[in-house]
Amino acid sequence: GNRRFYDSVVLEMQDPKTGVKSQTQRLVITTIPHAITGEDIVEWIANRFKVGAAEARAMGTMMVAFGYIYPLQDHKRLIIKPDASLYRFQTPYFWPAQQWPVEDTDYAIYLAKRNIRKKGMLELHEQEQYNNLHKWMNHKWDFIVMQAKEQYRAGKERKKPDRVVFDCQERAYWVVHRPPIIFTQQCIMRPRVKSSVSIGALVKYSTTYKQHDPFLYPCLPSNPWLTDDVTYWQLNMQNIENPTKMRVERWTFSFGELLSDPRGRDDFRLFLKKEFSGENLAFWEACEDLKWGTAATMKEKAQQIYKTFLARGAPRWINIDGKTMEITVKGLSHPHRYVLDAAQTHIYMLMKKDSYGRYLKSPVFKETQKKAVAPEPHNFRLRRPSLSPIILRQQEEEQKAKLAASGPVDITQLCRFTAPVPHLAVYTGICENQSTASPGLMTLPNSAACPSPISVAIDSTPASERRFDSGGTASSHFPSIAESAETSVSEESQPPPPKSRVALSLSRLLRRGCNAPSVFASLSPKCAVTAGGGRVQPLGEPLAQPQPKRIANFFQIKVDIPPECRIYPIDSEDEEEESSGTARGGVKEIICPWESVTKHDGAG
Amino acid sequence: MPLSNSKVADDGSSAQPQREGQAMVDSLTKVVACYRHLASCIGGSTDSTSLRQELRQTREHAQTLAVSCRNHLTARLRDKTLSEEDRKETELQWVAFSSCLELFHADMCKVYHMGSCFSVAKKSAMVQTGLQGGATEVAARALSMPNLQEQNGEQTASMEGLDQSQLEQEIAQVDRTLEDMEMKVNVLRWTVEAKGPQYADPVSVDSASLALLSGDEEGGFCDRSQMFVLLMLCGVALVAVVLSVCVVYLA
Repeated sequence: GNRRFYDSVVLEMQDPKTGVKSQTQRLVITTIPHAITGEDIVEWIANRFKVGAAEARAMGTMMVAFGYIYPLQDHKRLIIKPDASLYRFQTPYFWPAQQWPVEDTDYAIYLAKRNIRKKGMLELHEQEQYNNLHKWMNHKWDFIVMQAKEQYRAGKERKKPDRVVFDCQERAYWVVHRPPIIFTQQCIMRPRVKSSVSIGALVKYSTTYKQHDPFLYPCLPSNPWLTDDVTYWQLNMQNIENPTKMRVERWTFSFGELLSDPRGRDDFRLFLKKEFSGENLAFWEACEDLKWGTAATMKEKAQQIYKTFLARGAPRWINIDGKTMEITVKGLSHPHRYVLDAAQTHIYMLMKKDSYGRYLKSPVFKETQKKAVAPEPHNFRLRRPSLSPIILRQQEEEQKAKLAASGPVDITQLCRFTAPVPHLAVYTGICENQSTASPGLMTLPNSAACPSPISVAIDSTPASERRFDSGGTASSHFPSIAESAETSVSEESQPPPPKSRVALSLSRLLRRGCNAPSVFASLSPKCAVTAGGGRVQPLGEPLAQPQPKRIANFFQIKVDIPPECRIYPIDSEDEEEESSGTARGGVKEIICPWESVTKHDGAG
Repeated sequence: MPLSNSKVADDGSSAQPQREGQAMVDSLTKVVACYRHLASCIGGSTDSTSLRQELRQTREHAQTLAVSCRNHLTARLRDKTLSEEDRKETELQWVAFSSCLELFHADMCKVYHMGSCFSVAKKSAMVQTGLQGGATEVAARALSMPNLQEQNGEQTASMEGLDQSQLEQEIAQVDRTLEDMEMKVNVLRWTVEAKGPQYADPVSVDSASLALLSGDEEGGFCDRSQMFVLLMLCGVALVAVVLSVCVVYLA
């Protein structure tokens, strides 16, 4: 509320006629005038402001809380009691004022004075405050003690009743401005963690975990995001037989780490089984399941857990102390998600303090540690030693020659069972210098020196051969490219001679399949790639343009065989589809190596 | 009457200005303490012309003391020939002096503000604080005068106005002094170490003021109990003697 408002209200209450009735307070040795009762105050406020009793009481309490009126009995509770409890007006010197902040120096002097008067018997919170102030106002302390003494002596000059009144006034002032609520004071004076301690904890954590942080240290064999080599993920799979050394090391950091790693938990479970104390972990896991499971099955789960682990004579009885058991059983009468929290924590601590230590020394763990894999770091130089691009090109040319020699044989299509090895597509092969690109081929307008193989392959793939409904790589510009490719292809390509479909022997297929990686290897970052409107050179002139050959190597193979000659090893469906699209003629079948499903749609 | 301070060293001639300084600071502390008591009466049931007069007189006395104290202490601090121990003492006095002055400044501001709200001359409503007697004795203590005449004259509004403006000026003056002290005197307050005890010794205070008090139930209690015990013992001894005599007589 507005202080000025209360100032004026208090002055109004002083009026001998219209103000609050005052009476005399009788003390043992003297009487002091100007005492007012709570009920009179409330009544006066109600009449003056035309408000109800409750609101009048609230206003009265505000006045007491601010310090305009103070209670003579029960001085620590700053409320208006609407009965015969006595109050008195505070002297203006002690009225709350915003322009003068409440000074700690004054409080220190007050406490020192109080100490003098009570001969060293300060209340607990006062004692604490005094010591605190002494600490940080130490340089002024002589002055404070001196001033306290002087004020005390000056007070003694006054008449006894006035002295009593002044003491009450001062005490009331400090109750308002330094309330003796233990809770808040404890909050203020709560011991804080020293920064040295918290920083020490941080340092310890960093030192322990730094080698496991992929940002700081290279992860072995290599970070898949950097090298596209997924060995790391494969080595660290959940149910792998032999974990990596780093992973095992992590289990030694803390019990929590061991439990949160599924492989670690498995190892621990194995150890516990050998020790015949697997029920602890089973119980813990059951509790986790309860906590994180669906609400529908919660009750049943809780009951099941109780029957299995907690009941007397249960098949997998766990050993928890009586108090926890009592709390848990009581809670199970109204089960909820966290009803087993206490028991779970108990078991967790038990495992942590007891089993964990023994596990780390156990033969199970040592065995795991011994068998742990320490992968070699990824060798960037020797990426695919067997797949040097020069050799690959030679191989391709050989194959081409063979094909040309052996007639319209077979499928250049990838065997659909060839597992795509995407990383090869990215990193194998070198970029061809664009300057030697044939004039007929346009480079992609936005391709970098080594465009991504995806864009390369897709951009060069005629729409007819591409499947966009798989949704993976569809984007707005593809259809247009496809269309333009299609049109250009249909325009410019020569109609190949109709060829009969030749059944491909499985061995050849397999061979083709095996060569597929090499094919991809050679292909990918092709710089002089056909642009959206580009066309793929038909294989009519394979040798005339080495460049296009290179680019279309991937595609060339396919171009050889007209659609009707292609062999689809498995699915007759495809054949049907394909035959419908034969009218196209000269359509290139491009199968993206990473698409395991290769369905050709004739429609495009 | 400046109070003797137990801290004051008891050596030779160099101690004289030291003791002077201490005495001045002590006086100022006393006056400021009294001023606070007087200030707490403003706007209350004992607010009157005489109270305002007492306030004014106390204030003026404090001002003179402050000026002389400041001059003395600054002279001492500027003195390069001062020994290390003396310098520390002087710095302590300086800290006490500046804290005192700050307290005084705060009280003066409050008095000024309240004076404008509660005017004696205009007979504005005063708060019924329960006080009955005046604070003349306090003022007397401040001014170190055993008797202080109560002012009977009525204060007019114009006089009050004058008083207020004078107070305003003095506040400004003290403000400037404080600022000068802060800026120009090179005493780092927080580096000064207090020498006194953490707690004011209650016993010493009481014994000192025994002479001033009358009928204080707290004082002399110990002596009385000792006397009582002694008397008891004597009485018991007497009774024993009497009994033995009786026995001898009867036997």
